[in-house]
Amino acid sequence: MTAVLLAVALILAGGGAALLLRRHPRLADPVYSALLLSGSTLGVSSAIAVLRGGPARLAILPGSLPGGPWVFGLDPLSAWFLLVVLGVGACAGVFGTGYLAPERRHRSVAGTHALFALLLVALTGVVTARAMVPFLAAWELMALSAYFLVMFDHEQAEVRRAGLIYIVLTHVSTLALVGMFAALGAESGGRSFAEPGMGAQPAGNARTLVLIFALLGFGLKAGAVPLHFWLPGAHAAAPSHVSAVLSGVMLKAGIYGLLRVLWLLGPPPAWFGWTLFLLGLLSGVLGVLWALAQHDLKRLLAYHSVENIGIILLGMGTGALGLTYGRPTLSVLGFAGALLHTLNHALFKSLLFLGAGSVLRATGTRVIDRLGGLARQLPWTALAFGVGSVAIVGLPPLNGFVSEWVVFQALLSAGGSHDAVRFVIVGAAGLGLIGGLALACFTKVDAAVFLGQYRSARSGLVAPADPVATMLAPMLLLAGACIGIGLMPSLVLGPAQLLAMSVAHLPGEGTGSYGNLGEAAAMISALGLGLVAVLAAALLLRRSLAADAGRRLAGTWSCAGAAATSRMQYTASSYAAPLLSAFGPLAGVRREREGMAFHSHVADPVQDVVVEPFWRALEQTGARLRAVHGGRLRWYLLSVIFTLLALLFYLTRAGSLP
Amino acid sequence: MTLGPLLALIVVLAVAPALPGIATRTRAFFTGRRGAPVLQLYRDLAKLGRKGVVYSRTTTPVFRAGPIVVVASVLVAGALLPLNGHGALLSFSGDLVAFTGLLGLGRFALVLAGLDTGSSFEGMGASREVTISAFAEPALFLCFTVLVLATGELSLAGMLGERLAAVWPVAAPSLALAAAALFMLALAETSRVPVDDPATHLELTMIHEVIVLDHSGPELAFILFGNAVKLALFGALVVSVLVPLGGLQPLLAVPVLVGGLVLVAIGVGIVEASMARLRMNRVPQFLVAAGALAVFGVILLLR
Repeated sequence: MTAVLLAVALILAGGGAALLLRRHPRLADPVYSALLLSGSTLGVSSAIAVLRGGPARLAILPGSLPGGPWVFGLDPLSAWFLLVVLGVGACAGVFGTGYLAPERRHRSVAGTHALFALLLVALTGVVTARAMVPFLAAWELMALSAYFLVMFDHEQAEVRRAGLIYIVLTHVSTLALVGMFAALGAESGGRSFAEPGMGAQPAGNARTLVLIFALLGFGLKAGAVPLHFWLPGAHAAAPSHVSAVLSGVMLKAGIYGLLRVLWLLGPPPAWFGWTLFLLGLLSGVLGVLWALAQHDLKRLLAYHSVENIGIILLGMGTGALGLTYGRPTLSVLGFAGALLHTLNHALFKSLLFLGAGSVLRATGTRVIDRLGGLARQLPWTALAFGVGSVAIVGLPPLNGFVSEWVVFQALLSAGGSHDAVRFVIVGAAGLGLIGGLALACFTKVDAAVFLGQYRSARSGLVAPADPVATMLAPMLLLAGACIGIGLMPSLVLGPAQLLAMSVAHLPGEGTGSYGNLGEAAAMISALGLGLVAVLAAALLLRRSLAADAGRRLAGTWSCAGAAATSRMQYTASSYAAPLLSAFGPLAGVRREREGMAFHSHVADPVQDVVVEPFWRALEQTGARLRAVHGGRLRWYLLSVIFTLLALLFYLTRAGSLP
Repeated sequence: MTLGPLLALIVVLAVAPALPGIATRTRAFFTGRRGAPVLQLYRDLAKLGRKGVVYSRTTTPVFRAGPIVVVASVLVAGALLPLNGHGALLSFSGDLVAFTGLLGLGRFALVLAGLDTGSSFEGMGASREVTISAFAEPALFLCFTVLVLATGELSLAGMLGERLAAVWPVAAPSLALAAAALFMLALAETSRVPVDDPATHLELTMIHEVIVLDHSGPELAFILFGNAVKLALFGALVVSVLVPLGGLQPLLAVPVLVGGLVLVAIGVGIVEASMARLRMNRVPQFLVAAGALAVFGVILLLR
């Protein structure tokens, strides 16, 4: 715990240094990066120590603080999420120094760096706090620092709107959490949740209330459909390195919370597991479908986060159902899949957002249909983005495959009993559909951004090029992590399984007891290495075959017509159209034809069809009531009297008054 | 131990290029034509292997990587199937996810290689290919779900091995439905009628053929071979669901599998001769129908 406190101090010092040295950018960026990196390394190493079986620690902040003792703790569950927070956070932070450097011409960026450091500290607090008041304080600090980071480009109306929706909904989430803690404390009397056994367990209605509030508060933060609509706007509006942390890490605060509640309360009622499972299926399928429809690169990635949260929730729901129905193997596989996908999604999604950031810096646009052919000018970015996209689609031999494989196993092993839990097996088909749609979506992005020809007329001012080393290195590091976990899954499978067992309160005698993930890890390595070997062999064969026959260059075949121009290329929108039209109105694409012009734009079915009409109706009702509010004293007096009379009448009827 | 599966894989790889030839020949026979020789694809592969290559000026290394990934991914996918009914080269719990993942990897590479040329034709074909595969994927998982429920095994070698022979009498209706669904998926995944027509000559109506329009020489040979192997692997799935190879001696299982593959290829040819292609927007319905067959199989086992 001391190491984590020191790590927090170092990161805060990094933020402070960015502020103090704001007049000396050449000094400020390296000092900020160094402090951020050293703090994160310290935190990550203590998290790894705990995950490798080191003792879990509790610490109580000295002094009398409001709301009882401020307990912080680092058990394996916290350590896993701390690893995600600081590992990805440090990469994104270093990328941020290079990413924001050009902004120095217009404005100061020191505040943004300081806020970023604060966000990492707040996230550390969220995953380590073990009492109500410090948890809510860290949660609120996280929400607010993220809000100010989202508002970086506040001159744009669209950014302000995204920020507004975000800040309102994040407070709904905080409100739900206050309710959750109230229900938790009402029964148990304590305000700390350091150990599952502490105080009386909430039972009956209080327990139901805790679970409902947890679903609402943490589900909103995680961005599960239908509570996702704040997410795409905010994540697209933020600077790219911030988007990487918001999408890759901050959403996971919701996942952490749900797992912590499950850990605290033990086997949940069946409806809770089924709700998680169905939310997962809904978020997974609709998230990727809406992602496919997007025209904006960062909005597309943000919707993919909804999809991946869906996959995580599928695993978590299966795990919770395993607890309910007394199927330990199911719980371990489900929770392990959810935890692994949390880590893997953090790695590849932040990598993709950083890649999108470097495309944005190089070309100045996020509109997919205006890009193209960037693989030639930005080869390293294209490589890193390509690794990220193979990983997110869940294809072997990268890390996305490893976690989807665990979730699939959880879903498939649910069959073969006579409980209702066997119906979980149909989730495998849902996950298959998610995979197929994700493949369509990322071939669309990769091809439209990096392959073919550049689509818009070149401005001629600057040639797009790979970014500076401080931006490139974090991307390559994250890509390396995706490849490393994919080829050596034993690095993470064992710890994830042990952690899943501790979440499910199963006694740990090695990983062999529930599902044999450790044994299969070696086979996945063999599969990955075998694939690499066959690829190398095919490459050698290919080389030897074409050696003497020669090769030449020509234009792309265009049916013996004129050479294809960039305007004749298939656009990303047309590429996605057949798949989207098969899903009809669910996809949310709106087409408009006016004379010679054709537009298609994407609506979010939940925000544009449900939330906004509801809000407008509420506003209109309010406007009608305004007539009462005319400023005449006698009306006010009259309404006060009527209210009092009505209350008196009610109380006498209810028998409360003698 | 691994020698048997390895030999079986080599036999299947050797037989694979004959299957499209058998299908085409059957189609020609039923439509009253003579058709190309059965072994035409072997000749094509040999000829393409000797030729030079032409690259589009728009392309990047992604274009050159495509065919290599296509061929490597189907070969490794083949290593996961228990082709002699008694174990596979690589087998672990949940390896069916790796099987579909490897096929997905091949598709990912093929589609990106096509789109790398910047041609509208390739874009159109790629778009259709991913549309079809997005609907084929859940149906394929439903077929695997039937096998998982019937045998209680999570690995391909387990669910298509000895256990399957034991549960066949009990789960026959579900397994037959799964085999029918797998056959429909084989037609879709390997671009045959009624989803795609390998004999079409108009770029606008092609799916698979148009993605590889700019590929030539050995690279085209890799893709053609990869597609033939893919047909063989799907055929092997159909055959091993219908005829549990695990119930036979390993030495007998391989000839039975090869015979079954020939019958599947003839079946593909008969389908091609007897029906027209579906309209493009009907293809998802065809695949949903395949999924529905598998769902019935699942329901029969879950009841």
